[in-house]
Amino acid sequence: MLKHIKQGIVIIKTAWLRNLNYRFTIIMYRVGEITELLVLILMWTAIYSGGAGVIKGFTLNEMVTYVLIGNLCSLAVRNFLPAYVSRDIVEGRLSMFLVRPIPYIKYIFFNELGRSFLATLMSLLTQIIVILFFLDKFVFNGNIVYILLIIAMIFLAFVIELLIGFLIGTIAFWTDETEALQVTIDRIKRFFSGGYFPLSLLPMTLATASIYLPFAYSFYFPAQPYLKKISVHDGLIGLGVQVIWIIILSGILHLVWKKGLKKYEASGS
Amino acid sequence: MSIIEVKNLSKRFEFYRKQAGLFGTIKSLFYRKKSYKDAVDNISFKIEEGEIVGFLGPNGAGKTTTLKMLSGILYPSAGQVSVLGYNPQKRQKDFKKKFGIVMGQKDQLARLITPMDNFTLFKAFSEISDDDFRSIIDELTKLLGIEDVLDVQVKKLSLGQRMKCELVASLLHSPKVLFLDEPTIGLDVVAQKNVRDFIKKYNHLKKTTIILTSHYMDDIKELCDRVIIINFGKIIYDGKLAHLISTYATDKIIRITSIEPIRREDLERFGVIEDYQGIRASIRVERESVKRIASEIISSDLMIDDILIDEMPIDDIIRVIFLETNGDSK
Repeated sequence: MLKHIKQGIVIIKTAWLRNLNYRFTIIMYRVGEITELLVLILMWTAIYSGGAGVIKGFTLNEMVTYVLIGNLCSLAVRNFLPAYVSRDIVEGRLSMFLVRPIPYIKYIFFNELGRSFLATLMSLLTQIIVILFFLDKFVFNGNIVYILLIIAMIFLAFVIELLIGFLIGTIAFWTDETEALQVTIDRIKRFFSGGYFPLSLLPMTLATASIYLPFAYSFYFPAQPYLKKISVHDGLIGLGVQVIWIIILSGILHLVWKKGLKKYEASGS
Repeated sequence: MSIIEVKNLSKRFEFYRKQAGLFGTIKSLFYRKKSYKDAVDNISFKIEEGEIVGFLGPNGAGKTTTLKMLSGILYPSAGQVSVLGYNPQKRQKDFKKKFGIVMGQKDQLARLITPMDNFTLFKAFSEISDDDFRSIIDELTKLLGIEDVLDVQVKKLSLGQRMKCELVASLLHSPKVLFLDEPTIGLDVVAQKNVRDFIKKYNHLKKTTIILTSHYMDDIKELCDRVIIINFGKIIYDGKLAHLISTYATDKIIRITSIEPIRREDLERFGVIEDYQGIRASIRVERESVKRIASEIISSDLMIDDILIDEMPIDDIIRVIFLETNGDSK
């Protein structure tokens, strides 16, 4: 175990070294982030100004806080695996990993962990700036139990997102046209994660469905405990659903990877 | 048991044929004709420890495919492979720690960080100890002369420097077997020579078994005692290079450049004109006579500016061998 962690640390450090080169990218992402947050907050402000004090249980302040916290959570769990993995497969760079004494999956996971940590740190800084602007609307929750619950949820959501991202990337084993599928899945994910609006606003059937899908845990569910709209008890059940999803997705990934590799070797890159 | 043993190895690729044009593209959405190519066709050979063997052959001959099967990147369609006693297909971790591979067309080094950062990462992959790592880096970088580029971003290095770093990366774990796929492709003459010298020295020091594919005759000449010629997926020749040259490379090429255009007829008495462009020409001459004819050309009254004696292009040599052996293996 220790050996794995030591290896992982080197991979994470290398990911930091590489990503710190993308200075312009880092800045541009921050600009985009702030813009998106402002748009959402202004939109909700406009909606609430119509007179409704509470929409489906959310006050304006809670909605604004939901947008901010939810956004931070979703950024912490986001990854670019579909692009990396599909590129490695399509361009044949996977071959170079097949001859290394380290599994490709292990390398990709740790590499993404490193990149994500850096990105989340950057995002946190941006978030704090935006929060300062909307300090009057921001709802604070200092309850340690809730905070721990949220952190656990985010960590598990990160793992789930890694598995999903990897699976989407493996589509490249069977087709070169991965981009369209990735974009579509991304949109579906965003919808079911509560990224556009809290899931409790959805009609009953869809809202219930989203609880059982893994996506909600990247945005909606971590934000809810923060707003104390979900009890700790329900939060723990949510963690349970996440763990089940991790097991299911790992199993699927294992099978898909095996089948995909067979196809990869057949075509020879 | 030999270090590398290959028996009746074959690899067949399947692919779809599509008719040209728009109609063909639409048609291919519904029906595609399956075709196959035997990239490697029933080859067998054995390689002993410490040998440097050259795989020679034109593009598409099956050299790279064979190397990929030896390293476990591809699975054979038929036949057996054994490298260091392992079946590469199983992709065992222990096996991967014992061989290295460099593919001239694919780079392993991450471009945005330095070679040293890259090596540190690979060190973690192969679980090399700190002491081993330090001494190997010292030794290899000195041999290749790249000590002062270790802390420069890879993307700022020249192709030659990058290739040398790729070599170091592949040797960090002191592999017993090394596969080099077109290692000098795209390099300038100086870099090519440096890389060749290094490979020779390294093999001499460590007795590493090396398989080298190339379509540069000079690579093969400098490094390999033994060559295996592959064409159309079959082994056409497997034996000593000296024997190959004396038996099949019967001719040499004299390339001349002149200050003023020389008439074609004036050159025809020296040999067979392979290429003629006024002030440049290539003449094919029998090996034994090349020195004599070259000095005849120089001492003639033709305005020769430069003269170069070159080997017959490898493709031609292979063609000769292929015709001679009528496509039979060995």
